[in-house]
Amino acid sequence: MSVARPSVDLPHFAFATGIVVWSAWFCWDAWRTSVDVENMILIVPIAVVAVILYLFVAVSCFRVSSTTRREPLAAGMGIRIACSMALLAAFVVAGPLIGFDVACFLYLLAMMVFLGERRILVLLLAPLLFCVAAIYCFSELLSTPLPLLFSRGEG
Amino acid sequence: MIDFASLASAFHLLGSSWQPWLVVVPGILIGLLVHAVPGLTTSMALAICLPLIPYMDFLQALIFMTAMYAGAVFGVAIPAILLNVPGSASAVGTTFDGFPMARAGKHNEALGLALAASCVGQAVAYVLLLGIARPIAAFAIRLGPPEMLVLALWGLTLIGRMRGRHFARGLLAGAFGLLLGTVGLSARGAQRGTMNVDLLLNGVPIVPAIVGLFAAAELFNLVGREYIVEDLTRRRVQASRIVVGMLDAFRHPGVLVRGSLLGSVIGIIPGGHAIANLLSYSEARRSVKDPEKFGTGDPRGILAAESANASSEGGSMATLLALGIPTGGATAVMLVAFGMHNITGGPSFMRDHTDMVYAVILSSLAQVGVLAVVGFAFTFVAGFVVKVRLRMLVPAVLALAVIGSFALAQNASGPVTLALFAVIGWLMQRFDYPVSAAVIGLLLGRLTEGNLLRTYQMSGGHLDFILTRPIALGMLFLLLASNLMPYLRSASARFATTPVPDGELI
Repeated sequence: MSVARPSVDLPHFAFATGIVVWSAWFCWDAWRTSVDVENMILIVPIAVVAVILYLFVAVSCFRVSSTTRREPLAAGMGIRIACSMALLAAFVVAGPLIGFDVACFLYLLAMMVFLGERRILVLLLAPLLFCVAAIYCFSELLSTPLPLLFSRGEG
Repeated sequence: MIDFASLASAFHLLGSSWQPWLVVVPGILIGLLVHAVPGLTTSMALAICLPLIPYMDFLQALIFMTAMYAGAVFGVAIPAILLNVPGSASAVGTTFDGFPMARAGKHNEALGLALAASCVGQAVAYVLLLGIARPIAAFAIRLGPPEMLVLALWGLTLIGRMRGRHFARGLLAGAFGLLLGTVGLSARGAQRGTMNVDLLLNGVPIVPAIVGLFAAAELFNLVGREYIVEDLTRRRVQASRIVVGMLDAFRHPGVLVRGSLLGSVIGIIPGGHAIANLLSYSEARRSVKDPEKFGTGDPRGILAAESANASSEGGSMATLLALGIPTGGATAVMLVAFGMHNITGGPSFMRDHTDMVYAVILSSLAQVGVLAVVGFAFTFVAGFVVKVRLRMLVPAVLALAVIGSFALAQNASGPVTLALFAVIGWLMQRFDYPVSAAVIGLLLGRLTEGNLLRTYQMSGGHLDFILTRPIALGMLFLLLASNLMPYLRSASARFATTPVPDGELI
């Protein structure tokens, strides 16, 4: 009878390593600019604690048993989430560049298509109405200087 | 402690004309509406309405602003419950149990609980303020960095309680959050972790980071689903169930009163209102017999967080009225409104215009009743969010959050922070790290560092300095007692249930 051997959780290991590498870099960056107590009074102890905790987490990444294993994502879910993140990133970058009015419309349109909306009228009207209302509230009622392409703003 | 002549004068001020009351409903509605949009804050709403202030008499202006404040204090709970979007730091605790309740189809009850807790919290705080405004102010002025440090440490103990299934991961998330909270310029002007990006000199933009960690990450998980509440039969918006939620709040009077008192006291301290909800949540969780239910949709979690959040408003007003010191952005804007009427807040205002102070407190108590009605109607309408298809809701909320975070930061650092932290938040969820622990660290990082540093400077590096601060010492004792009590209690219970062998003397 074969016994299930503990497997390795590399994605989690990479994530935890990312956290501790950033923590160590941050501590080093703070140390580099000033070694005064005023600068390091909280950062050094917390960074040391983070490294110690990381060691525990890292060990657990190499001892994944059937009870501690993560539930796998549903089929296609990983791609969906990655695409949603990519679209959000594109909106964040495009907003200040081409104006939030156009970027918001395109983002809503793209997300709705991506999430399964197929009715042409809804695809055109919903983002348009939402954008007009949101941009009007922010730029006119709240006088927020938003970068815009088609109306008053910084664009 | 109550000056009854001034109190009678206050009743006369409020009763002699109906004009001051005209602004209550619009004020509450503006406050509620503002916090329905992620990224908008109470101080922003108050600031936008500042141009109206010179056209009102002073009492009317104060009532208008406190009404807006009251609406906003509750309004922030609505997106926190329905969308897991804490529009400000003061609603973080509400998301812990609010959103799980909404996901389980108990959105009506959750909103009712939050509304009732908010009303009770505000009422308790203003009754306290009416009776002991002056002693509260005298107490507030004696609080310094050591006391604030103990308070911050108290907040940090919540990280230990939020650790989730994996102890090391929970604490690592908290440490990560604490370090993130100290990014930016140090007290000596040294740049830390800014990568020479000027936009990070003031630190990581807190609200976009929180919205990213909590909301955006959660919204990614909803991609591919049809509705927030999958079960059609549970997707109803029912006024009767909101009422049930409101009534249910009174089944836990201990949680409500403790949260309200805690919030009132913490609210008087500058910056305290942001952590009142977390401390109250932490204490409520510690004191119950079944703490494992917290975080899974326990009504007591909502009550603890919301009552403290609401009552911290009264505490903030005590400091503003009695000392003329703003404890946050909203009260700072109110102080500007004082200036517009050539009035300076502080001890002289308290002494010379006691009737006006009482009038503001009494009107705020009356506003609680108005908030219950207006808030109920608003909540009923807001509840329809669960009926909107996620294919529309998710992009709309994310788009609003991005635009709101740009408006808040006034530059691209807001949206960039939101997107970055959305990814980090999702990864944390995926690998079973408690996001709330990181958020608490992020919120308290700078507060802890600043007060630790000031305490260190005051003490000259001698720890026994704390012995000369009776309030800090008392708070430290309470902190230790509250954290050790559960262990002592369980140890004594184990001892009591251990079978004693026959013939052994006890």
